[in-house]
Amino acid sequence: MKKKAVTLLICMLMFATILAGCSGETKGSSEKSEDGVVKLRMMGYNPESTRATYLKYLDEQLPNVDIEFEFVALDNFNNVLNSQLQAGEGPDIIEVGGETKLLAKANYLLDLTSKEFTSKYTDSGLKPYSVDDKVYATPLQSWFEGIFYNKAIFKENNIEVPKTWDEFIAISKELSDKGIKPQIMGAQSWEPMMKQSIGLVNNEFYADEESKNFDEAFNEGEAKLAEEWLPAVKEWSRVIEEGILTEEMLGLSYDQALDQFATGKAAMWESGPWAVETIMEKNPDIELGMFPIPGKEEGDGWLIGGPGSALAINAKSEHIDEAVKVLEITATEEAQEALVKDNAGSSFLEGMAVDLGEIYEDSEGAFKAGNVYAPWTAVWTSGNPIVEAYGKSLQEVLAGVKTVEEALKDADDVNENLRNTLK
Amino acid sequence: MYNKQRERVFMLMILPAFIGFMILFIAPTAMSFFYSLTNWSVYNSTLEFVGLENFKLLFQDKKTVAAITNTIKYALLITIFQNVIAILLAVFLNKKTAGMNFVKSLVFLPAVLSILVVGFLFQYIMTSADYGLLNNIIQFFGGEPVNWLGNPKIALYSVLATQVWQWAGWSMVIYIANLKSIDSSLYEAADIDGAGPIRKFFSVTLPLLYPAVSFNILMSLIGGMKVFDVIFAMTKGGPGYATETIMTTMIREGFNSGRNAYASALAVVFFIAVFILSRIVITFLNRWERKIS
Repeated sequence: MKKKAVTLLICMLMFATILAGCSGETKGSSEKSEDGVVKLRMMGYNPESTRATYLKYLDEQLPNVDIEFEFVALDNFNNVLNSQLQAGEGPDIIEVGGETKLLAKANYLLDLTSKEFTSKYTDSGLKPYSVDDKVYATPLQSWFEGIFYNKAIFKENNIEVPKTWDEFIAISKELSDKGIKPQIMGAQSWEPMMKQSIGLVNNEFYADEESKNFDEAFNEGEAKLAEEWLPAVKEWSRVIEEGILTEEMLGLSYDQALDQFATGKAAMWESGPWAVETIMEKNPDIELGMFPIPGKEEGDGWLIGGPGSALAINAKSEHIDEAVKVLEITATEEAQEALVKDNAGSSFLEGMAVDLGEIYEDSEGAFKAGNVYAPWTAVWTSGNPIVEAYGKSLQEVLAGVKTVEEALKDADDVNENLRNTLK
Repeated sequence: MYNKQRERVFMLMILPAFIGFMILFIAPTAMSFFYSLTNWSVYNSTLEFVGLENFKLLFQDKKTVAAITNTIKYALLITIFQNVIAILLAVFLNKKTAGMNFVKSLVFLPAVLSILVVGFLFQYIMTSADYGLLNNIIQFFGGEPVNWLGNPKIALYSVLATQVWQWAGWSMVIYIANLKSIDSSLYEAADIDGAGPIRKFFSVTLPLLYPAVSFNILMSLIGGMKVFDVIFAMTKGGPGYATETIMTTMIREGFNSGRNAYASALAVVFFIAVFILSRIVITFLNRWERKIS
């Protein structure tokens, strides 16, 4: 009998341990530590190295706040964030991107509209993070993507930076006639074709005043990509018809394409400032330039991009006052400069100009004209899944199984599906 | 009486593990059955019943149906190739000659590597970039380069080949263990009857390999149905939807798009598919067992 009692006790103990393991950590993190320092959790999908100067600056400005930066790679970010938010244990400050509107609609984010610092940002910076005229996050520096080119190859072949899309096609053909690969692309990922084609959509469609309301109507399911975007994307698809983008590129990853461009095996490659460091590491002698994607008519051209990401505050955070302080400091020129230092991009703070350097000289016109846009992060409610479907279908276009129109229809379908799901 | 009491105590001993199993496996499974009938999404605050709507959407979506067929194709092919190759390897390498252990460990070695490592490695071997090793070899012998991972017609088979390479050695070890237990007198008897090596393989070796065959077939079938990491490392489901599987679709729809209910419905379909497929295989294996015993 005694034995039995002991066994029973052990069992109960084990059971209790399991339960304790389940509920152990719900408290504790909210309490202030003894010296009055508040711990703030900031979760981001850009690595700490791209925020180092900024975090240091925050540290100096806020001695009584200890910011714990938590990096979660973008592949997993929404996954991790969503499950934490659903469990009511999300970080205090969240780096948000395309999914802001969805998170805001589900009441996870604090409304920042009435905060004073919000008005310091330009409207184009706040627009992606607003729902029904309420602002839920404030933008960090912009991201942008254009076409990198190897200045040495251009000079050797007497080629000028193209001002129109026809010129772009023409110089590409000229280069390939001379046995030089004009453009390399890591088309194994669905992103680059999607972005480049939207570059042309920016030129031909969004530059037009009449298209201003398209994105809102698209969100409501009243406008279709397959109708409005088709001419522009068809124009872009000439790079496939003319053999500038080839099927082999579907077997190339982003890194492999970068490698080919950096080592001078291709004259052009589309990407953004984040790639510069790696290119320089692989080939310190490369003469690098970037030009915006040109349109059919001569103009400044367009870059693909927008607010890179933004900071939002968890509505259920227990340190809202401190988190607001952080955002307030972020809205100063000093903090913006600290941000740009580790991650090139322009600032959305009203009246602030950032010098980006030599590489981006050819894009200056586009920057000045404000020609930087990416509809799926700027206005679309479920941007990421839609462009993923579109990009994947473009891969099938390159493989010769689908037409451009079908690719756009696929994206429309996903929009429709998600609208129904989120009703 | 004493025994019964003791049993009860033993039952109590497994209770913690059982509760863990309930909480971590049975409950989530039951919940995904439940959620598959609702409109659940992270971005949706109201939960409503929608009946079989998600299942209807699922079978209307060509991409999802393609993912399901890809998965079944992959699972069946890997089961066949992996086991045929493993049995052949096992029979040929089950000898006591010098260096044989070394050859065996060479064949087994890939199974030690992480699937992700193998995936990224083969991405470089099979790339269509100029330095792609496989294409360089083909070109050296005068062939045309093949777009292994970028051609939608080939990509799935390229991925499959790496997995057969990685896991055939693993299955082989199980087959070898089984081969060792076959009584050598049976082979002597076959020799006396004048059976050749092929006859001996089909009449003696293969029937007696039954336990290992049934275990290996089930393992590779279920493993094949669950394939995710190698696809993730090598093609990310591309080009287009050519290598999407049930798992990659589930993650794309459930986590990236936030269509949790839809992903739950897919999980239910997956559960049923695995259940039916493994039932069929088990029935088939049982019939085989009855035939030989």
